[in-house]
Amino acid sequence: MENFSEVLALFLSVDNFLAIAVGVLIGVVVGAIPGLTATMAVALALPFTFSMEPVTAILLLVGIYKGGMYGGSITAILIRTPGSPAAACTLLDGYPMAQQGKAKKALKTALYSSVVADMISNLALIFFASYLAKIALNFGPPEYFWLICFSLTIIVSVSGDSVIKGLIAASLGIIVSTIGLDAVYGTQRLTFDDYNLMDRVSFIPLLIGLFAIPEVIDFYTSKVAPHLRTAVAGASLTWKEFKGLLKTIVRGSVIGVIIGAIPGTGATTAAFISYSEAKRTSPNKANFGKGEIEGVAAAEAGNNGVAGATLIPLLSLGIPGDVITAIILGAFMIHGLTPGPILFQENLTLVYALFCGIMVSSVVLLFVGNAAIRYFSVIADIPKTILLPIVLMFCIYGAYAVNNSTFDIGLMLAFGVLGFVFNRTGIASAPFLIGFILGPMFEDNLRRTMLISKDDLSIFFRGPITWVFVMLTIASLIFAIRRYWVARNEAAV
Amino acid sequence: MMKLTKSRLKSSLLCALATVSLSYIGLVQAKEWPEDNIRLVVPYSAGGTTDLLSRKVADMLQKELTTVVVENRPGAGSTVATGQLARGGRGSDYMLLMASPGHTIGASLYPNLRYDPVSDFAFVRNVINIPNVMVVPSDSPYNTVAEFVEAARSQQLTFSSPGIGSSVHMSGELFKTMTKANLVHVPFRGSGEALPALLSGDVDVAFENMPTVYPHIQSGKLKALAVTTVEESEFLPGVMPMRKAGKGYGLETYETSAWFGLIVHKSFPEEGMVKLQAALDNVMSSDEFKKFLPQFGAEAGEVVGDDFRQFVQDEVQKWSDVAEKANLKR
Repeated sequence: MENFSEVLALFLSVDNFLAIAVGVLIGVVVGAIPGLTATMAVALALPFTFSMEPVTAILLLVGIYKGGMYGGSITAILIRTPGSPAAACTLLDGYPMAQQGKAKKALKTALYSSVVADMISNLALIFFASYLAKIALNFGPPEYFWLICFSLTIIVSVSGDSVIKGLIAASLGIIVSTIGLDAVYGTQRLTFDDYNLMDRVSFIPLLIGLFAIPEVIDFYTSKVAPHLRTAVAGASLTWKEFKGLLKTIVRGSVIGVIIGAIPGTGATTAAFISYSEAKRTSPNKANFGKGEIEGVAAAEAGNNGVAGATLIPLLSLGIPGDVITAIILGAFMIHGLTPGPILFQENLTLVYALFCGIMVSSVVLLFVGNAAIRYFSVIADIPKTILLPIVLMFCIYGAYAVNNSTFDIGLMLAFGVLGFVFNRTGIASAPFLIGFILGPMFEDNLRRTMLISKDDLSIFFRGPITWVFVMLTIASLIFAIRRYWVARNEAAV
Repeated sequence: MMKLTKSRLKSSLLCALATVSLSYIGLVQAKEWPEDNIRLVVPYSAGGTTDLLSRKVADMLQKELTTVVVENRPGAGSTVATGQLARGGRGSDYMLLMASPGHTIGASLYPNLRYDPVSDFAFVRNVINIPNVMVVPSDSPYNTVAEFVEAARSQQLTFSSPGIGSSVHMSGELFKTMTKANLVHVPFRGSGEALPALLSGDVDVAFENMPTVYPHIQSGKLKALAVTTVEESEFLPGVMPMRKAGKGYGLETYETSAWFGLIVHKSFPEEGMVKLQAALDNVMSSDEFKKFLPQFGAEAGEVVGDDFRQFVQDEVQKWSDVAEKANLKR
């Protein structure tokens, strides 16, 4: 009881609530602007936290992280420009919904799915941290390898009408991902001796180029009179619809939690796996990619489920799961704290005060998100003749801002043209993106596995985790092939 | 009357113009370095160790001099930003770069560098050093460097790193060439991925940065066999330096650390250099800085000016030799 009052004394301060509110607000706004990522905002906010109390400092950064995860979906839905990488999955159905005049419903679905997933993720952090951390530690290169194999099967789900075209796009994505220095020998691959390509192709310019630029080109080249506005008025999400989506949201959150607890996999992968699973089990399979509300819910639940869970390896093992948690680890260290088992032994009060703050941040996200929808909706009321040049300007700025590199602007425009060609030829862009993200993970883990096993192949089946993912991969492939045949036969009839 | 007014106006204007011009010239002459904001370029992404340390140093440095703006310019190790500094030109009198082992290792790893890592720069001072630690999982059969080397000479063992060309990777390569051990490098992307593989025993050893492994040594999940610096580290009392622990195994001259120091363009004004070094002296002798260091298991850098240049030159040579032997040189 005494401990409980100590926790409350540490947590219940105006500063902490202010830090959460400001953090979430910054996160949502930054997340919504293409090219400005939550990672950047967390890094820039870090020096301001040097003089704060440790709990306040970390809550500010966590607030930005959580806000940023959600914020990316707003512009993804409204203008097909994912504000953050993980929102690339949200736009698959979010943007078509907006075009059908259901922007408000899509935005609300994204928000409520995010908040619920965030809550579930927090609860997993609070109650199951030690169990999940143990699983994370058992994830070595062979386990990652099979997880990535399983993740690659989602290409089939996001390929649109043609699996062959999807596989072509994914292969192209994998080829682009090999540009740079080889991870083991440092050999140059497809760099043409250009320094700008030696650190791999930058992700943000690729993302913006692939999704946002084709819309701009399309608007100016289309012979059909395009829609001038995307009205945000219209029906909101009803309670009945939300209840119907709960199963998808909870499943997506659990996927997000598991992926988030394993370092180095990331929110984008979680969003796509969740989306793929939702599509597989949904009665409205055919509507996915054309404005299916369940698709938006699954994607957002998947990526927000990651947010609390990435703190699991950080707090319980001292291992950062992604770049943002690496920065948060830095914040802990600056305040003389060492995440890991020692933190739980020596600073338990602080850990629980953080948990309180993290729970509150989810509630704050609900309010800030609702306000953001109201204000960002203005975007949708701007005629596209004015809006699209502004979007283009933000895209250029966003592509530049990541590495302060003008080369990246050219890269973004090049991927914009590629995205436009994809659109015109009926090739889906999402498999390209998945190939680009998962390709290097596949290669790295395959090579790491071979290096640590001294070329002994039995390591690929060394334990229960590898077997689980082998089975999941096979099942997912069988299911995909079966669906492909059924669809082909139906088309033939 | 009108004419008079006009001529008066004219002469007044001329006078005013002359006064303004003269005072401007006077101002220009009286201006001292720094007359503009200083840019501290971090050649890596925001959020990494180099970024974190640079932001702290910038924060303290601006209390001594003028506003210091931190700018991240990642790319090709650290060679994109360093290449920009080497080119000089406008603004280079106010541009500092936080150099780290990437500066010296990159010279071997990246082909056709358009600058010389030593002669194209002036060297302000080494600010911070972070020792690396040779660590094995707690259930590893090896308890000393000697036992490890013996084993690695008779069988193939593995070492992890957060990526090719990092100080952690090169520390392992140096160990391998000096001991002639059969060690295979397993690269990961960042310490967040590399650490679980070490903790679970998937890889046999790592030569990781102190702050990354310190909590795990404390909690007993990793065993520290040696520190890579010449002297014992105050953070790990009782853990021998590599030179001592590996005596008789070819490690008598072994030394590595993750060092961080400020470099500028070779034509940096002398006055600026003197002021910068004085300001850094003040920063590094402050209590705030001394309190900050232990949080990163770091030690204050010692070499200044020409000594720092010599240190960098030696490092470039050292890593060039290691990269050649490890077949990394391009």
